[in-house]
Amino acid sequence: MAPKKDAKKPEPAKKAEPAPAPAPAPAPEAKPKVAAVDLSAVKVQFSPEQLEDYKEAFGLFDRVGDNKVAYNQIADIMRALGQNPTNKEVNHILGNPSAEELANKRVEFEAFLPMLQYVVNSPNKGTFEDYVEGLRVFDKEGNGTVMGAELRIVLSTLGERMSEAEVDALMVGQEDENGCVNYEAFVKHILSV
Amino acid sequence: MDCRKEGCAQPQDEDIMDIPLDDPAANKAATKIQAGFRGHMTRKKMKDDKPREEKQRDQK
Repeated sequence: MAPKKDAKKPEPAKKAEPAPAPAPAPAPEAKPKVAAVDLSAVKVQFSPEQLEDYKEAFGLFDRVGDNKVAYNQIADIMRALGQNPTNKEVNHILGNPSAEELANKRVEFEAFLPMLQYVVNSPNKGTFEDYVEGLRVFDKEGNGTVMGAELRIVLSTLGERMSEAEVDALMVGQEDENGCVNYEAFVKHILSV
Repeated sequence: MDCRKEGCAQPQDEDIMDIPLDDPAANKAATKIQAGFRGHMTRKKMKDDKPREEKQRDQK
């Protein structure tokens, strides 16, 4: 039907509704998904004395006063309690949280315990030998020392990179007058706390 | 890189950048070491902060 051309203004063509937003692209499943940690299956086996210690430490980290701690504090609480989890391990336990979740999601003590138990149960603990062997790789002269400078670079470029401040704090008093680190002594020092 | 120490034996001939960035074994070893170091530093910091925390608690 041909529109009548008259004085009436043609109605502007208006889309009744906006075009539907495209469906969000599915997360690329390039890597096989590692099974999420089932914390409900972890049996908490700490003694009453340990639980008391842990509760105290937990309380120290609660800056809000809601008897909870944030996701991004979990790694440090575990470290404070004698464990040495990698950041990757902690993220895995927490279900690979986003940055927002890390900052805002909070966990109460009872929920934290199976997380801690999981790390305690973890078989890949670093021993004195592990650390020494790891550092020996960088012992170019095979004389029990590594260059402090090289160690700093390794720590800040490989693995779970450490910041300059972290490396500085770590290396305080460890380098001799030649900038060398006796790594067995270094590891003993690390393991003493 | 700051050279605070004088007489610091900078590796002259060997390439200081001879760091195996892509080697999974080196990265795995580094990660383990870093985990141990981070644990140590956190515990050390807790120890250093503790007397202060206790004093604060006692004052309440």
